[in-house]
Parts: sequence; C-alpha cells; structure tokens
Amino acid sequence: MTDTPKYGSSGADQCHKAAPTVGEITDFEILEIAVRELAIERGLFTADDHRRFTEFAESIGPAGGSRLVAKIWTDPAFKARAMQDPVKACLEIGIDWSKPTGFGTPSDYTHLTILENTPTLHHVITCTLCSCYPRPLLGMSPEWYRTTNYRRRLPRWPRQVLAEFGLILPPEVEVRVEDSNQKCRFMVLPVRPEGTENWTEEQLAEIVTRDCMIGVALPRPGKTADVHPVHKARRPVHSSHQEEGAR
Amino acid sequence: MSQKSQPDLGRVALLETMRGQGKEWEVLAPCYGVTNPNPPWKTSLTAMCDSLDASGALAALDRRRAEDELAEGVYSDVPAPESQLLALVHTMLNRGLVAEGELASRMRTVRSRLEAV
Repeated sequence: MTDTPKYGSSGADQCHKAAPTVGEITDFEILEIAVRELAIERGLFTADDHRRFTEFAESIGPAGGSRLVAKIWTDPAFKARAMQDPVKACLEIGIDWSKPTGFGTPSDYTHLTILENTPTLHHVITCTLCSCYPRPLLGMSPEWYRTTNYRRRLPRWPRQVLAEFGLILPPEVEVRVEDSNQKCRFMVLPVRPEGTENWTEEQLAEIVTRDCMIGVALPRPGKTADVHPVHKARRPVHSSHQEEGAR
Repeated sequence: MSQKSQPDLGRVALLETMRGQGKEWEVLAPCYGVTNPNPPWKTSLTAMCDSLDASGALAALDRRRAEDELAEGVYSDVPAPESQLLALVHTMLNRGLVAEGELASRMRTVRSRLEAV
C-alpha cells in the first residue's frame, strides 16, 4: 500500500469549499424566468435567440478593450490601422463586432471611433439618450453608466463628475464629452503612462481598466482594478428632524 | 416620440407585491456571503432585452426611455438590476406583450418547479 492519496481524497480536496450561493429563490428570479417563458411561447423571440444573446453577454468584457489599447501603445502600424478603421482592427485581436447575429446586436452594430487622449486633451464618454456603450470591447456597462445622474450631469459639469470618480484634471487639460448613440460608439485611448517603458503588451493591458477606456480614470503602474473613492460628507445632514417626524 | 413609447406610470399590482421584502440582490447576497455583484438572472435579463430588440417586439430605445421614467418614479426605491427587471416587465404589460394574470399564474408554476424536490 502506498501513501499516494486517491483522487478526490487529498488534503487539498478535503479543504476545498464550494463558493457560497444564495440559498433561496426570490420573486425576482421567478419573474425573470416566467416572463421569458411567456415571451418565447408568444413568439416575441425564440429560445435560440435568447441563448445566443446570453452567450454573447457572457463572452464579452473589458479585457478586449485593454488588449486593443496595449497593442495600440506598442505597435505604431497597428495604431494607424486602428485609428482608421477600429472595427476592422478589432478583428486582429479577436473581437468581432458582427457577433452574435452576423450583424451584431441591433444596438451594437455601429460605427466605432477611438478617441485619443493627449497630455492636453481628455475624452470621456456617455450616452445622454439611454446607455449606448461599446459592449464588444468593454463588456456590459457598469450600473453607474446607466444612471440618469451620470448621463445628465456629465455633459454639463464634466470636471465635477470626473472629480467624483477621483479624477481631478488640471485646468490646462481640455475635457471633451462624447455622446454615444445607437449607431455611434466611442472608446477612449488613454495616454500611455510614464514608468511603463519596455513593458510587454500583457503588462500594459493589466493597467488599462474599464474606467480608463470610458474616461473616468487614468491608467497608472500598479493600478489594475477600478476602485471608486467614497467621499465622506463634509457637512453631514443630521436626521434628528426625520426622527422627530417618525415619532 | 410616439404615443406608444410613453410608459404608463401607474402601479402594477403583481409587481407591487415584490417590493419591500428585502429580497433585492444587494441585500440578499451579503447575507449568504456571496460577493458576485449581480444576481444569476442578470445576464438572462440582458439577453431578453437584446432578443426583444432584435425581433422588433420592443425596441431598445423605447425600453430604455420607459426604464428611465419608471426607475425615477414608480421604482425609485428599488435598486438595480431589480428596477431594470421590474421596468421591463411593467413596459411589456403596458404594451400587451404579456398579460398580468397569465404572468402571475406562470410565476406560481415556475416557483413550484424550482422548489420541487
């Protein structure tokens, strides 16, 4: 008999714990299933349509955009192609804007423009009408991007809104807000930060976060995740009057 | 904007019963130690919106307009993505794409199916 542990009974396996899950079925989950089933039965769309769009939604994320930016930063010839025809250049990094239907989704087959930042020009994107977003490159839009608060205020007070994301730009940097729509999408090409000389594409891609490509953050060495600051209120409103009202 | 794209901002009895139960994902997930920011049905909801748009049953722009108005009014106290789901169903009910009675009935059927042991 040997000491070799049998498959499935090693110490490591015994220590393995499944990730926690929510142990109840909510009405929201039930509602989503019920309305989807009825929609399919009524012929509003097919189960196959839904499966394809689900697979599409699960296959996209900001990693594609990060790779695109890193390649643009390191390959001048690719940059020229990307600035001239971004959708075509995306194919070179494995992103096909025509998926999943052959013509994209109705709201995603678009004209893509890459907005190049410079040391004196900063772009930031929004969609004042709804929440148009370059999904094939950046994945699903963050919830804050969909809010009317962001969409209404950004074009009016871009510096104020950017400051709320922790991005405070000096006055000599011009800020341009680009408004997306159903047929025109934008992606911000940030300035390659200092301290990244001789980095590989993979290293560079790690610091190009989703927020950098929306324009609410800047890439910098060592920062590989989007973390939004939480500002404490300078003059918090005391709720004593509310408590009185509740009595 | 067409008359059709204006959402009916009245309350829907079936959807009203789902509010205020503390079952929104942002409340429920921490109770179970789950860190995923989105509920498991979120991707399916996104795909449903895309599917409705692709088939022409409910255009994305009309859906988003209605969602904006409903999320700021009727469902202003409901967090995302639950507010997105409620707004979509609210809009589908308003347009007669599904009926409230059959939806309530189907919800009972789905629940019994999911809870079967």
